[in-house]
Amino acid sequence: MVLLKRKQKAPFAGEGLALFNEVQEAMKAEKALKDAGYNVKLVAPPPELRKGCDLAVAINLVEQPGVERALKQGNVDYVSISPLNIATAALLEIVKVTDFGRWLMVRAGNMKLTFAKESGVIVNTSGGGCPDIPVMHLELLGKKLKEAPRPRETGYTLCALMLDHALEKALELTKESR
Amino acid sequence: MLLIAGTVPVKGLPLTLGAVNRDGDYLVVNGQSIPCTQGTGTMLSSALATAEYLGMEAPQALVVGDDGRGKGSNTLYQYLIENVANLPLKVLALHYCLPNMSLTRSLCSTIKKCSQRPHLIADAAAMYAAKAAGLAREFDIFTPDATEMAFLADPNATHPAYINRHLFDTDITQTPHLVAEAYRQNSAAKVLLVKGAIDYIAREGEIIAQVNEPDVPALEAIGGTGDTITGLVAAFLHAGLEPHEAAIISARTNRMAGQYASATPATRVREIIPHFARVFREHLCQWSRICYAKGENNND
Repeated sequence: MVLLKRKQKAPFAGEGLALFNEVQEAMKAEKALKDAGYNVKLVAPPPELRKGCDLAVAINLVEQPGVERALKQGNVDYVSISPLNIATAALLEIVKVTDFGRWLMVRAGNMKLTFAKESGVIVNTSGGGCPDIPVMHLELLGKKLKEAPRPRETGYTLCALMLDHALEKALELTKESR
Repeated sequence: MLLIAGTVPVKGLPLTLGAVNRDGDYLVVNGQSIPCTQGTGTMLSSALATAEYLGMEAPQALVVGDDGRGKGSNTLYQYLIENVANLPLKVLALHYCLPNMSLTRSLCSTIKKCSQRPHLIADAAAMYAAKAAGLAREFDIFTPDATEMAFLADPNATHPAYINRHLFDTDITQTPHLVAEAYRQNSAAKVLLVKGAIDYIAREGEIIAQVNEPDVPALEAIGGTGDTITGLVAAFLHAGLEPHEAAIISARTNRMAGQYASATPATRVREIIPHFARVFREHLCQWSRICYAKGENNND
């Protein structure tokens, strides 16, 4: 067996839209995102999603956190990022907490983060399925909650955003317990 | 051939194909080291441990580094689309990746044209993409956890972060309802293994088994304990079991190994996999009628 060469760029995946007030901002966003390596394209948003101008940037919705970060870094003024399907529910904000005695597990969407109550050390993360999750699993294990890198800053996907919600809740819980 | 395809957290790792070997705490594929940690590494390690016990050839791995930006994922899917017809596949298990619906459509379309269609398993984001692309019925087994089951049941969600709140709020005992919804919408594979406090195994819309013993709640907190189940399923499917049989035995094995490891929420998944051999030795014959692997289980 041999190491295999990389193949060509993947076709567009879609399912999400970045929305803007100004056409110029949409065009600036397309360039900023392409420069950052994202596979995006300019499209006309459906009327029910139109929030400003009649130009939007189609994105792969799962890449929302990375896209938002790239837009901010590119000083692009965007209104919001939305699922293309207007029947889709809003981004999950609620979390659930399970008490394991010495440990607490916080679940946000498909992600779980577990930490030791006494030390505040992260002992496990689980769930998810996006490629940045195993990376963050290695980064977070053994770190104290307050010193842990924030997944929303180091990750690129919705799984990372859910893990960040779990970390945020864990930080709140440790504050409340003092 | 059992081929497990997915991304791994190894920066700069090129697309690599080869048989899986073990080297201490690491796996080795074609000379490349892969950590046995949450994700595809754990799934490979689990499948390898099972194949070794059964005296079968080691699983093949198709792995690539990806930090979440999707370049590795896209390379992996492109490779599969171009080469899947020429690989002697019996089982293809798709795992961690950046979900991309158009690439998933292309891959499924190519597989349909194969002279011998492999068994298809999807877990993690490969499952998200298959459901979001409307291709769940092309797959033989999905292995969702409870939240992912809610995602499969939500007709409008393309990722579990966007599931309807009332579905997120359901507890594990509502799984049969979610399973029925998912099948009604053609958003479920032929067999579902829903991992949770109770593991549910469903086939074509009907719950055919529940596994709830031994009860090891800590497993839910341990990163990779879903990946071990999917690795087990893949190996047992490759060994010739029917998909639902593979799912039931895998759910039992994972729980029993967790108990043997005295798992706590702080346990690492690599501490659980070594207990598979004992579970197989003591229970596999009874569970599956696989009784003579390596001679270790010849109790008759």
